[in-house]
Amino acid sequence: MAVLPPDMNAATFSQMLEELRGAVGADWLWSSDEDLGPYRDSFSPVWDTAEERHASAAIAPADVPQVQAIVRIAGKYKVPLFPISTGKNYGYGGPSPNVNGSVVLDLKRLNQVLEVDDKRHFALVEPGVSYFDLYRHIQERGLKVMVDCPDPGWGSPIGNSLERGIGYTMPQFRDHFGASCGMEVVLPNGELMRTGMGALPGSRTWQEYRYGFGPDPAGLFAQGNFGIVTKMGFRLMPLPEYYRTGLITVPRRRDFVKLVEHVNYLSDSSMCGEAVYGSPLQRLMGDPQFLALATKLGGPSDADMDAAAERAGLPSWQVDLQFFGPEATTSANWDYAKARILSDIPGAKAIDGDHFPLPATEEQLLNKTQPYQTGIRRYGALGVPSLGIWRIVGDNGHVGFFPILPRSGEAVFEMQRVLGDALKEFPLRPFFNATTAPLYWHTYAFQMVFAPSVKHDDPAHNAIVHQAMKKVVAVAAEHGWGDYRAAPIYQDHVADTYSFNHHALRRFHEQLKDAVDPDGIIAPGRGGVWPKRFRK
Amino acid sequence: MTPRMGDSGGGPMVDRREMLTWGIVAPVLASGPYGALAAVPEGLDALVVDSRLADAGLSALAARRTYTIDGDVTALWYNTLDTLWRKPGFVLGGITGTDALFVLERLAFDCGRRAVSRTELRPADRFGVAAASWVIAPVHPSVVKA
Ligand SMILES: Cc1cc2nc3c(=O)[nH]c(=O)nc-3n(C[C@H](O)[C@H](O)[C@H](O)COP(=O)(O)OP(=O)(O)OC[C@H]3O[C@@H](n4cnc5c(N)ncnc54)[C@H](O)[C@@H]3O)c2cc1C
Repeated sequence: MAVLPPDMNAATFSQMLEELRGAVGADWLWSSDEDLGPYRDSFSPVWDTAEERHASAAIAPADVPQVQAIVRIAGKYKVPLFPISTGKNYGYGGPSPNVNGSVVLDLKRLNQVLEVDDKRHFALVEPGVSYFDLYRHIQERGLKVMVDCPDPGWGSPIGNSLERGIGYTMPQFRDHFGASCGMEVVLPNGELMRTGMGALPGSRTWQEYRYGFGPDPAGLFAQGNFGIVTKMGFRLMPLPEYYRTGLITVPRRRDFVKLVEHVNYLSDSSMCGEAVYGSPLQRLMGDPQFLALATKLGGPSDADMDAAAERAGLPSWQVDLQFFGPEATTSANWDYAKARILSDIPGAKAIDGDHFPLPATEEQLLNKTQPYQTGIRRYGALGVPSLGIWRIVGDNGHVGFFPILPRSGEAVFEMQRVLGDALKEFPLRPFFNATTAPLYWHTYAFQMVFAPSVKHDDPAHNAIVHQAMKKVVAVAAEHGWGDYRAAPIYQDHVADTYSFNHHALRRFHEQLKDAVDPDGIIAPGRGGVWPKRFRK
Repeated sequence: MTPRMGDSGGGPMVDRREMLTWGIVAPVLASGPYGALAAVPEGLDALVVDSRLADAGLSALAARRTYTIDGDVTALWYNTLDTLWRKPGFVLGGITGTDALFVLERLAFDCGRRAVSRTELRPADRFGVAAASWVIAPVHPSVVKA
């Protein structure tokens, strides 16, 4: 046993473990280093350093009454619990807690798909249900709904959505917390609460009207530390009849501005699914001359970039569009998108992609039928969970900074330039350069990505990554760009940047935390929210 | 129709009787870098081979009671292990990239299993992926065979 909970000696710790064993059975509590190994964040840039956060124990209850019993014991001993659902939050802290010595509350045994309704289009699940589990449940019963899956498919609808994770289908389903509807929560005092219509005994609309009556506290549990979610509902897309793709390219750098405006229109009108932007010029990054241009301090001029594109015979930008629905509407929406964009942007071109009825065949899922190189990963796009994304994971993993920026071409150019320049001092690959495209995951916002790898055997490299992460958070904030989600080691840095009116938001969160969880029983520090006991 | 998630190379759901018996692979694995696999006293129930490692001896084995992956464990997990690992027993050996091993180990952990041995066969390439032989066995009382 390497670490103890805060303010606790070894004798009291043993006594507490004994009580916890009494609540769940001896087989479901772990405290040896070997047993706790998998609860470390193997993607952490502070791996094996003094900054790494370690659990003192882990416990896996079988049901909600056991969760409540654990919370009451934790309250008695004032020990922080760190709830996880499937615990695969790699890139953002994995299963490791904010506070050293926390007890990880592993909810993997609460793994029932409680309901899937393919007439009213929702699911109600427990925390240990993974995307694979939910998908299997739907497939085995032939239900006509599509799950919006993040990568990798081993995560859980509850864990992922409580991180405000994202997926790849239609806009209103890609934002997983946004698509949630109703939750059951064990509060820091051990009481059980339901939000929305779940608070009304006898209601049958818990997964259909998320608000109920009065203030809706559901948002407090996402990236928050106000309770342990034990059930959660999700809206599901009816299984579309048909799927269609198409590619639009535009010749000049500035054309991106208009392209984005058109795609915003299509997306906000629910005419298309995830739009996957890219720059064909990325394939020139191996050429040192082009690399120097695309990463030039202060950014390259449009004219220089256009000249490079022309020399290479490549368009400057492209967008992969995806359409879901009846065959006729996918066809009409694609025709409309082509007409709208090609008539407005001189030199824009459109290529018809793939189209087929759903569910897709294996060939179609493997994306062997697309007539051009595409940025779309079909498994995600069609709601089929997969672990295939692991092929992009290098070294021992990575840590992620995904700043939110406006959905405009100008904002993309500005972020490319500002963050590209800010990160130049670090010997890492140029994540931000003149060919970097935005990610369109959340419903109404763009993100860009900084995800440097970590190496367990290279602490010097990790130290660079750690420094770069802190710098990029700070520089982004100076320009009004905030991270959407962060590992525990960065949560205070990120929360610090959301500072309007002398940190009014943080002070409000702290007041709430002090009121409902003064001893910090539930994940103190998560989301940058600390109860009085832990505030310096 | 449920789309199957690729073919893991082991055919449809595995019947325990069809699984690898130790005698079949022992001659190939008993020596050299695969020695750790041979040391499992009760034998392996199945073997995972990563086609990216393209070992001639192992490819020959991959014909029947082994599962071939290309680094991606999706199909192996969804079609086979997810069901098998819910029940007690089942010792799995493998010769794979360490990236695939990480994913399998993490899934195994959720099912009360652990990599009880691992031997590095090849150091990490430029993507940080090494090759390893390993054995994942049940360790939690809920899945250890009586
Ligand atoms: C290669 C790669 C690709 C990725 N792609 C994506 C992607 O496409 N989309 C995406 O969103 N993410 C992605 N991720 C990040 C991450 O893997 C997923 O978001 C994953 O779903 C999160 O893990 P989980 O679902 O197991 O959640 P968990 O780890 O279980 O939960 C996440 C956090 O939420 C809180 N929490 C969990 N359960 C509860 C509960 N019941 N009550 C209260 N609090 C709780 C905890 O603080 C926990 O740490 C990717 C990661 C990698 C490595």
